[in-house]
Amino acid sequence: MTFPSLGLLSQSVLSGLFLGGMYGLIGLGLGLSWGLLGQINLTHFGFVFLSAYLCYHLTMVWGVDPLLTLGLLVPAFFAVGVVMQWALARFRVSTFNSLLVTFGLTVMIEALIQKIWTADFRKLQTGYGEEKFSFLGLYAPLPELLTLTVSAAAAGGIWLLMRYTDLGKAMRAMAEDAPIAAAFGVNARALALLLSGSCVALAAIAGVFFALSFTLTPTQIFSWVGVVFAAVMMGGLGNPLGPLLAGLVIGVSEALAMAVFSPSWAPIVSFSLLIVLLLFRPAHR
Amino acid sequence: MLEVRGLRVSYGAAPALSDLDLDVGAGELVGVVGPNGAGKTTLINTLAGLIAPASGRIGLNGTDLARLPSHAFCAAGVAIVPESRRLFSAMTVRENLELGSYLPRAKAERARSLESVIALFPALASRLGTRAGSLSGGQQQMVAIGRALMARPSLLLLDEPSLGLAPAVVETMFAAVRRINAAGVAILLVEQNIGMAMELASRAYVLEEGRVVLQGQAAELMGRPEIRKAYLGLE
Repeated sequence: MTFPSLGLLSQSVLSGLFLGGMYGLIGLGLGLSWGLLGQINLTHFGFVFLSAYLCYHLTMVWGVDPLLTLGLLVPAFFAVGVVMQWALARFRVSTFNSLLVTFGLTVMIEALIQKIWTADFRKLQTGYGEEKFSFLGLYAPLPELLTLTVSAAAAGGIWLLMRYTDLGKAMRAMAEDAPIAAAFGVNARALALLLSGSCVALAAIAGVFFALSFTLTPTQIFSWVGVVFAAVMMGGLGNPLGPLLAGLVIGVSEALAMAVFSPSWAPIVSFSLLIVLLLFRPAHR
Repeated sequence: MLEVRGLRVSYGAAPALSDLDLDVGAGELVGVVGPNGAGKTTLINTLAGLIAPASGRIGLNGTDLARLPSHAFCAAGVAIVPESRRLFSAMTVRENLELGSYLPRAKAERARSLESVIALFPALASRLGTRAGSLSGGQQQMVAIGRALMARPSLLLLDEPSLGLAPAVVETMFAAVRRINAAGVAILLVEQNIGMAMELASRAYVLEEGRVVLQGQAAELMGRPEIRKAYLGLE
């Protein structure tokens, strides 16, 4: 163990923040559907990757600007989320079973991606990837900067919605006592469809920014599950700011662990953090 | 105003209410009493849309609610103060009250309704920003009643508002019920505290094993010793 220079440390913290932004963006929809709908939606990761591959395809084959693909992917994935919630409600899938069902769906999405785009590494080549800013000797690539900004804006925006609008209050009320919320006129079924659609749309957004920053390969889907789950659980289920804040903490600790010790330390650090937090945090709700 | 005819509710094969008829006139305060397990809470919950009846009619101001989804009951003019209050405990008192006025018609009156709830329960004025789950039992009951009033109901369903409260708080609660009724809101009141319920109500139904076994003017029922003894458990 050699202690790194201040410059290297600051660069590590910065890239940790960027990585944390990605954790937060992926975790946002996952945590909302878990906390408010009682569904542990593993398909969320499949949707993120499917969206990333579709963004890659639209950009590389059809020449669409990657950010413009959001205009197509967000509404399409919203519709998928609505259909999925309709089916889960129709067959009364419990929280635990939702974990199994959505795991199965994720494996199917992985196979589909493998079939269409093969297991080869794919990297989106765009002008965005070349752009980078540097200040105070630190270096910030545009895609990562965009990811962090969008992640913060989405989490903040949804937090405001949940806190200050009647729709948000109705969703929180529904999460706590759906029958009583319904007795005051909340149409729980419609809200669940809206919420599920929004969560899958958030997966689509995460996918586009994922494609901008990361090299794609289908088997990677499952390597993101652990750390994003950790971020969601640390941040508190159903709290829109939680996954981002926890994601940033995890991202920075991982980056520091990599700089100070070695890259293989990163997962040990994030899961130790999760375990310590779960042990010592007062029970939520 | 409320006209219940032939209401049947069952939990699986077990009937909870059978062939129940019940009326509440506009602005009336009607009591429902009876032993534990008689079906009082089932009745209130069915009238609020929390339980779907197997058959029968729930007429309110001319519409039959029995076949409507639960979120349609509130719009028709019903609001419930459920057994054990069931507040949204992670939300603030203000948010709980606001949720009572979720529907457009009630939302339009939200500021005025909030004022009148605070006038009814001044203790809530300083607690609006507090998490509902951290309030005392009495204050939680005030929020539960306030939340229902925020919906601007024509019929208020009250399930055991005195449950688990200290006697002094029970007095406050019943005074509030009287004031709400005096303002023109019809009330269906389920109570274990039979003395109090009969004192407030103009008419009452006695439920046993899911059936109405007795009904009449509250004062008249209370005035007949054999009824007091056999049905109301009073000496």
